[in-house]
Amino acid sequence: MLAGIAALSRLNGFLSRVSLWLAGAGLVFMTLIVFAQVFMRYVMNDSLLWVEPVAILLMSWFIFLGSAVGVHESFHMGFDVLLFFLPDSAGNWLKGLSDLAVLCFAIGMAVYGWQLMVRTWGTTLPVIRLPGGFGYMPLFAGGVLMTLFVLEHLLQRLSGSRAEAQQDAEDILMTEA
Amino acid sequence: MEYLILFGVFTLLMLIGTPIAFCLGISSFATVVWLGLPPLVVFQRLSAGISVFTLMAIPFFIFAGDLMVRGGIAGRIVRFAGSLIGHVRGGLGQVNIAASTLFGGISGSAVAEAAAVGGIMIPQMKERGYGADYAVNVTSMAALIALMLPPSHNMIIYSISGGGRISIADLFTAGIIPGLLLALALSFTAWIVAVRRGYPTEPFPGLAKVFRFLLESLPGMLLIAIIFGGVRSGIFTATESSCIAVIYALLVTVLVYRSMSWRDFVHATQQAVRTTSMVLLIIGMAGAFGWLMAYLHVAQISLNWMRSVSDNPFVILLLINIVLLVLGTFMDMSPLIIITTPIFLPVVSAFGIDPVHFGVIMILNLGIGLNTPPLGPVQFVAAAVARISIWEAMRSVWPFYAAGLLVLMLVTYVPALSLWLPALFRGL
Amino acid sequence: ECETTLRSSDTHPDGYPTVEGVKAMAAEVKEKTGGRICIEVFPSSQLGEEKDTIEQTQFGVIDMVRASFGSFNDIVPVTQTTSLPYLYRSEDHLHKVLDGPIGEEIAGQFAEHGLIPLAYYDGGARNFYNSKQPIRTVEDLKGMKFRVMQNDVFVDMMSALGANATPMPYGEVYSSIQTGVIDGAENNFPSYDSSGHAEVAKYFTLDQHLMVPELVAVSKTSWEKLSPGDQEIMRTAARNSATLQRKLWAEQEKASEEKVIAAGAEVVKDVDKTAFIEAMAPVYEKYVTTPEARDLVKRIRETQ
Ligand code: NA
Ligand code: NA
Repeated sequence: MLAGIAALSRLNGFLSRVSLWLAGAGLVFMTLIVFAQVFMRYVMNDSLLWVEPVAILLMSWFIFLGSAVGVHESFHMGFDVLLFFLPDSAGNWLKGLSDLAVLCFAIGMAVYGWQLMVRTWGTTLPVIRLPGGFGYMPLFAGGVLMTLFVLEHLLQRLSGSRAEAQQDAEDILMTEA
Repeated sequence: MEYLILFGVFTLLMLIGTPIAFCLGISSFATVVWLGLPPLVVFQRLSAGISVFTLMAIPFFIFAGDLMVRGGIAGRIVRFAGSLIGHVRGGLGQVNIAASTLFGGISGSAVAEAAAVGGIMIPQMKERGYGADYAVNVTSMAALIALMLPPSHNMIIYSISGGGRISIADLFTAGIIPGLLLALALSFTAWIVAVRRGYPTEPFPGLAKVFRFLLESLPGMLLIAIIFGGVRSGIFTATESSCIAVIYALLVTVLVYRSMSWRDFVHATQQAVRTTSMVLLIIGMAGAFGWLMAYLHVAQISLNWMRSVSDNPFVILLLINIVLLVLGTFMDMSPLIIITTPIFLPVVSAFGIDPVHFGVIMILNLGIGLNTPPLGPVQFVAAAVARISIWEAMRSVWPFYAAGLLVLMLVTYVPALSLWLPALFRGL
Repeated sequence: ECETTLRSSDTHPDGYPTVEGVKAMAAEVKEKTGGRICIEVFPSSQLGEEKDTIEQTQFGVIDMVRASFGSFNDIVPVTQTTSLPYLYRSEDHLHKVLDGPIGEEIAGQFAEHGLIPLAYYDGGARNFYNSKQPIRTVEDLKGMKFRVMQNDVFVDMMSALGANATPMPYGEVYSSIQTGVIDGAENNFPSYDSSGHAEVAKYFTLDQHLMVPELVAVSKTSWEKLSPGDQEIMRTAARNSATLQRKLWAEQEKASEEKVIAAGAEVVKDVDKTAFIEAMAPVYEKYVTTPEARDLVKRIRETQ
């Protein structure tokens, strides 16, 4: 059991790092193409028609990849006042319950993301002429990654091997809105 | 029953510490299953909720903010503000507020502002004998100015939550006078407290130095003109101006200041990915939640309820302000904008209140909530920088809260503070 | 109490002819079924934009949708052919096509995509307007920049006319015309008026380049749950509502036209459309590729 969790942990660590880099590259690429569009319109007097749909697709990818990383790194912002006042054992139990709820949702995201992809495959995205299903691919990928990541947390909690990540000022920095 | 599932599951999950984004998603999922609707719709709304071109301004403004903090633009602005007004009584407090106002004109993030200005000012203030609580309170409240002055991605979130028909240029313009009013009120409060506590003054460095620091900070501050001028004149859209802000921040830090290394860049990018994917996942999940609220007519029900309480817009606004302040104590700003706008906007519109005016009220109100425990991220950052507990800071925060609430009431009941400037610009 | 509640989505606000049309249909259905079947309209994009609500109707999440033919282009290909520029001579011609055998034929193509069309509403004709000069000929358009919707056909139509297509969000158009980023845009009279674009682009040319009908469709899942009698009531009510909607639309168009003219807009009506139609040859070549599509275009043109 523990060896299995450790293997999942290693796989997830790798997937999370790759996702973070891909998402970062997506953000940078998105910046560049939107800037290219502004430049073309105001300086070259011409419009790049593909920029908007491609940028939206890129944004969708980096949000779902980044959100999955958020599940792995536990940086999604929540309200943990109650946990603060409860004894550790009860807190751990509640966190497990919360992980279970997130697991159900993540599985739903993967399953229904796949269904949406299949059902819209026959349509076409305007301008870029890709099958409509491409629009839902990030949702599906995000669902699969989140499922793996939250499953690891849940298994670690069940086996008692989960250590909470240290929360420092920099973590709080991320919780900006 | 479906109302109980939607709001009950949401509340229960929130209490056990489930991230807000998932509280929204899971409660929507549960409600859709209960209603016997195809669960597909939850995930379609999630995906559609983030596939909006206007939303792109949020990652860009956050990315630009991270680059400016890491690349030294913020630091130079603080130095300029310090040389300018450090010599009044309790000068460093005034410097803190002035720097926040200037930096607030190029960044829309209150937490980034608290980290950037506070990171530089709080250690200096402690060293010069200021109370750490005072330093934290000045920093955390002054950071809210960034929310009010353009650019403000929270105003973009509000515009989108309101159906995307509220002009972002008008919202940006509408926040200026209330933002400056907040700066003024905080400045006055900080001065009174400083006088009573006998805080020191700083020597005036001489006009030559003021001028030098001004020149050094000018490339960064030029962004104020680019963003506001561009959006207001219609040359750029808000999304385009946010993208230009990223490119501009990169050019200034890499070519002019030469202070951005590859490592800094990677770190800033990954940090921006973390922050934006968290904020935008909440927006997407709220898309599903909002769909159910529309399906279940939550806005009409609240409108009828509000009407039964009072038909006086004065009372309705007070009521909404109180509800938002209470919610803001427990929850963060963007999810609250996204959840409450579809409920409250039709209500206030029915009472003849301008959507732009209401947007300013909401942003300021929820901004104050960023500084109230148990969930006060801006206050947390400032306290973490000062290495004191929230409770220590809370002891002397009351005059600053009072200043914030006073400005909130003025903004609520004097619509001209928000609406005069946009009307003026539209007339040009 | 209603035994069945059918939820219908619209992106336009309450009071708009399409919303009022479906509401009139709802009233008739409710009356004729003795209150058993209720139709509830969700206006103002409350349930999502047109493409999203079409998907929701296909999946059976909601029961009805009112959307422009343009939003079906990537789902039901025939709607692209019937939305080609300068295809119809007049609104009257369009009505004859939709209310005749061709309308039936188009409707049949929706069924395999989970949708049952009930009525064709009016979406008016789209026309060019700009801030520079009155447009009477194709030459007048040369080199001008127009905002168009994010759609391949529109972009190709603009190039065929020698103008530049600039896709941008609708909300940015006003200030972009004002500051000269673009020279103009294109839309129907009511939108030209309500968007305030008439204030900044006062030259309006009634060239009627696009007449894109609006469709009221019901989800196949919801449809099959209704008895044949109720289906007939729904069909009749929908047809009657189309008559009302077209009347409301014509009234609104007239009122908007009078309003923008009173506000100083210059409406050019004496356009020779022949040159515009001839300029569309490359567009038709690109989008009318199958024998069926060619036949359809021919039959539409021949409809008198
Ligand atoms: Na700002
Ligand atoms: Na709070």
